[in-house]
Amino acid sequence: MLLQIAWRNIWRNKARSLVVISSIIIGIWAGIFILSFSWGMYKNNINESVYRQLSHIQIHHPTFGEENDSKFMITQTDEKLNQLQSDDRIASISSRVITTGMITSPTTASGVKIYGINPSSEITQIRLDEYVTEGAYFEFGKDNEILIGEKLAKKLKVKYKSKVVLTFTNVESDIVSAAFRVGGIYKSKNISLDEVNVYVQQQHLQELLELKPSESSEIAILVKDETQIDTIKQLSADIVPQGKVEDWKELSPELSMIIESFNLYTYIISGIILLALTFGIINTMLMSVLERIRELGMLMAIGLNKRKIFFMIMLETFYLTLIGAPLGLLAGWLTVTTLANTGINLSMFSEGLASYGFSSIIYPALDQEKYVIIVIMCLITAIVSAIYPSYKALQLNPSEAIRKI
Amino acid sequence: MAKTIIDAHNVSKTFNPKTIPVHAVQNVHVHIEEGEFVALVGPSGSGKSTLLNMMGGLDEPTAGSVIIDGVEITELPENKLIDFRLHNIGFVFQSFNLIPVLTAKENVGFVLQLQKMPKKEREERVLTLLKEVGLEDKINSKPGQLSGGQQQRVAVARALASKPKIVLADEPTANLDSKSAENLLNIMAKLNKEEKITFLFSTHDQRVIRKARRVITLVDGKIASDVEQTPS
Repeated sequence: MLLQIAWRNIWRNKARSLVVISSIIIGIWAGIFILSFSWGMYKNNINESVYRQLSHIQIHHPTFGEENDSKFMITQTDEKLNQLQSDDRIASISSRVITTGMITSPTTASGVKIYGINPSSEITQIRLDEYVTEGAYFEFGKDNEILIGEKLAKKLKVKYKSKVVLTFTNVESDIVSAAFRVGGIYKSKNISLDEVNVYVQQQHLQELLELKPSESSEIAILVKDETQIDTIKQLSADIVPQGKVEDWKELSPELSMIIESFNLYTYIISGIILLALTFGIINTMLMSVLERIRELGMLMAIGLNKRKIFFMIMLETFYLTLIGAPLGLLAGWLTVTTLANTGINLSMFSEGLASYGFSSIIYPALDQEKYVIIVIMCLITAIVSAIYPSYKALQLNPSEAIRKI
Repeated sequence: MAKTIIDAHNVSKTFNPKTIPVHAVQNVHVHIEEGEFVALVGPSGSGKSTLLNMMGGLDEPTAGSVIIDGVEITELPENKLIDFRLHNIGFVFQSFNLIPVLTAKENVGFVLQLQKMPKKEREERVLTLLKEVGLEDKINSKPGQLSGGQQQRVAVARALASKPKIVLADEPTANLDSKSAENLLNIMAKLNKEEKITFLFSTHDQRVIRKARRVITLVDGKIASDVEQTPS
């Protein structure tokens, strides 16, 4: 009977109950939207970093990471690439020769990270070809072609087909300078990297660095299934025993920190929204209790004990949440699902977003686990919000309550 | 000799004892026997509702004790007192005080459900009671769909549902028209006579006073007179 009374009680003042239910719906929807929007941004950033920059796994000479010197190379790269490539869990694999140096144009110079790549294998790795805005992606097959970022091109005041000079030290620590012609200008989603990364033909860079054709600085691997990363890491370590094998989380701890901090962010944002909701529910339920003082007094007088009165008020709040929460979740889920396909176009802020490595089109995304967290937090909110009004009801003295007008 | 059903012994009630004390009831002794039909009368502020509430265990006396059917209710912990009220005392209030979201049938059955009476038995009892108060055709009406007199009759049926030893009624006719009041009093008088239920009214309604067989008059929280009479 208490379940029935509590249910009917919430419909005594329909407008008020609908306001509470609406605020629950809007609160949950807003929580889901904010979280999915943020996660969409971060996820895009992580995907961009992993799939177009780091790859899932990288193998280097153990000292390469500290010294960043091309003399710390992996030997017999071709043989190792062939062995790894034969594993069907690996989606793509490529080797890179990396060094740091200066790029000089007729007007200015800038520090750069020079990547010697194999253009054909990178089509499935960093997919730079998709970002070329001017010129072409190593189309001419010439040794001295260089691909530079749009931001760097502006800084150097160079254009497509302009001539630039790269200066760096070879493995013998001799300074080497070589002239290159800008074969293409690219614009990725991370403008800060566009300013420092330049790409040249791997073979030509090997020659300039005086490396052997089978020597490289890095082997980058993309796996088909991310859950296989650890297994492939082990396989890589077996094939390249003298190399240092790292996954993307080790290579870029800040990315894994983003994921961890996002979990915290989930709790904080949901907490703030639910806190506001808590006060809304407390206010409404308290009004509802205070309006019914005489009735509650009568219930106590005729034999309803305080535990049951407490339970009844808790139930009323719970019912309101049970109606609002699924509707809010549904609204949130529909919004996320729709926008995950269409995306939210923030192209007017593209410059600012790109400087932080974010895409200008955000595809909201939220893991199922986060929906569960929101539901649990919502239920906790309902219980917490109901405690004070229920407690107020317990404080009533039946004889005084009955006399209330 | 009839059994004493209510024994209020030297009962006092002072409100605001620490600030401006109001002595609502002072050293009152009342013995009420089983099956009595008693009117507690007096002017406003004389303490009759306070005394009635103390006798029903709704208010705690500042001093003295209340014994109902041999149980000293002033010594009972709160939960046991609520349980005692559920099984032994029926209440009828001035403002009817029905549960607005429940029908007449559900309002009367609510007390029985609290007593965990089986559904079939409960429904039979509810129908009998509503028939007794002349509302068999209103069992599915909610309080808002009933007149004041009908609501008060539902309240009487609810008070009687648990087969209490005592029914305490605080100004039960105050919000009723003459016909409804007369009707209600006749029902209560009949139940008192046939089922030996003790009725104690707090009232200043002459219609109630005329029906009572004993009239206790309170003035300034003290018993001014306690007389037996032949009801008219």
